[in-house]
Amino acid sequence: MIHLDNVSKKFQEGADALKEVSINIEPGEFVSIVGQSGSGKTTVVRLLISEIRPDVGKIVIGGWDITDIKKHHVPLLRRQIGVVFQDFKLLPKKTVFENVAFALQVSGATRGRIESVVPQVLNIVDLSNKSNRYPQELSGGERQRVAIARSLIHRPKVLLADEPTGNLDALNTKDIIDLLLKINEFGTTVVMVTHNKEIVNSLKRRVITLEDGRVTQDHKVGKYII
Amino acid sequence: MFLIALNRTLLFALQSFWRNIWLSLATVFVVFLAFVSVNFLLAVNYVSDSAINLVKERIDVSVYLKPEVRESKIAEIKTRLESMPQVREVVYRSAQENLDSFKQKHEGDANIQETLKELDSNPMGGTLVIRAKTLTEYPEILKALDDPTYSDLIEEKNFDDNRLVIDRINAIADNIKKVVLAVSLIFIIIAVLIVFNTVRIAIFTHQNEIAIMKLVGAGNWFIRSPFILESILCGVFGCFAAFVFLYPLLSLIQPYISDFFNGADFNIVGYFTDNFLVIFGIELVAIIIINIISSSIAIGKYLNV
Repeated sequence: MIHLDNVSKKFQEGADALKEVSINIEPGEFVSIVGQSGSGKTTVVRLLISEIRPDVGKIVIGGWDITDIKKHHVPLLRRQIGVVFQDFKLLPKKTVFENVAFALQVSGATRGRIESVVPQVLNIVDLSNKSNRYPQELSGGERQRVAIARSLIHRPKVLLADEPTGNLDALNTKDIIDLLLKINEFGTTVVMVTHNKEIVNSLKRRVITLEDGRVTQDHKVGKYII
Repeated sequence: MFLIALNRTLLFALQSFWRNIWLSLATVFVVFLAFVSVNFLLAVNYVSDSAINLVKERIDVSVYLKPEVRESKIAEIKTRLESMPQVREVVYRSAQENLDSFKQKHEGDANIQETLKELDSNPMGGTLVIRAKTLTEYPEILKALDDPTYSDLIEEKNFDDNRLVIDRINAIADNIKKVVLAVSLIFIIIAVLIVFNTVRIAIFTHQNEIAIMKLVGAGNWFIRSPFILESILCGVFGCFAAFVFLYPLLSLIQPYISDFFNGADFNIVGYFTDNFLVIFGIELVAIIIINIISSSIAIGKYLNV
């Protein structure tokens, strides 16, 4: 599903963010990418959503070589990849329903489709009863569930979660991880970037460890070892 | 699909206009000032052209014929003059009409009245008033009148060409036009810069929204177009406001302009009404193009999509 082949990326400041990274993720996998701050975890996410381009190497997602993807194709790619961030990235002046619907609105979906799909997705994340609330009226966990609902709106094959529990307490963290596992069970490939040791160890799923921009470990049933 | 996208783009543009309402109103106001000054330039143009035409209308050559020239000869001369390609019309005033007019003009002058009574016959001859098709054709007509066929019958020619008046009107109008043109250009430049700044600030205000739009796969044009549309809205609102403002203003100043030109029939409001579609259409299209260019530059510079 996701192939990174000898990918390197250097930023203008001169530091190597990624050095000859090769990763192969199969469809339906749940993969945690771990590492300390500055190890290149977020760079991987940014490369996968084509926010930045690799200097060297090749990136293929679902058979689509996005290494030199054209600018006008990027929106199509992003509709096939759900992304969740630590800071939720919700619009404060929109309700839960509107925040999720926004993803469909900007891609030109009809009102009928929006009204049929949004409740379904809100049901998956268990927020049907809070669809009229504003983000500031929700807990951190609930906000992240809104963000996950929005990322699922285009029924993506891949869900990228960049530190999805970074702003959450233990209880909400467990809720979000359970939700990600549930989504993975539906067949969506989940790639989670995190530095939360307890979560990674409890998952007992594949773990890829990055250190100084290089893959140092890749275990099918891994642990957080740095 | 296209209508849905257009509808949402318009909605986002209106939201953005409303969220930065004071900035939007300032932009509309500058566009409004630009339009008022441009239309004022048009009004000045219309008034000066009308005034010049008015003066031109009063230009003619008066040919005073000798008293002994017979009516039949005068009719012959008149027909010949009328057949000249340069001549628009020839009006004949008989010797009697000239005498009556002279008497009336000097009604209060006892000496003149007494002298006229003492004369046995009418000392005045007939007059031919010649109007050329264009101003430049008068020398040609005057030259023709110097021909011995005519010159022996002519007592005097009077060509009051009013060129000095026309030159003065042209000079005043040119100066006013230069000032208004300069002011218009300044306002247009300010409008372009303000539109640029409005779009720039709108982009900064919507940074979060833009980031999320990109994240969820909004097309580049879907992200860009609300900002372009917002700039177009500022232009359209400014243009409408200018026309709403101009009509009462022109109606108010019209009587003063007519008075200034001795009651001449200058209908500025009529001029704008008759040419409404052309003036309004061109100005609207121009401001839309200017604003699209200005906002596109701002988007290219500040919106990274």
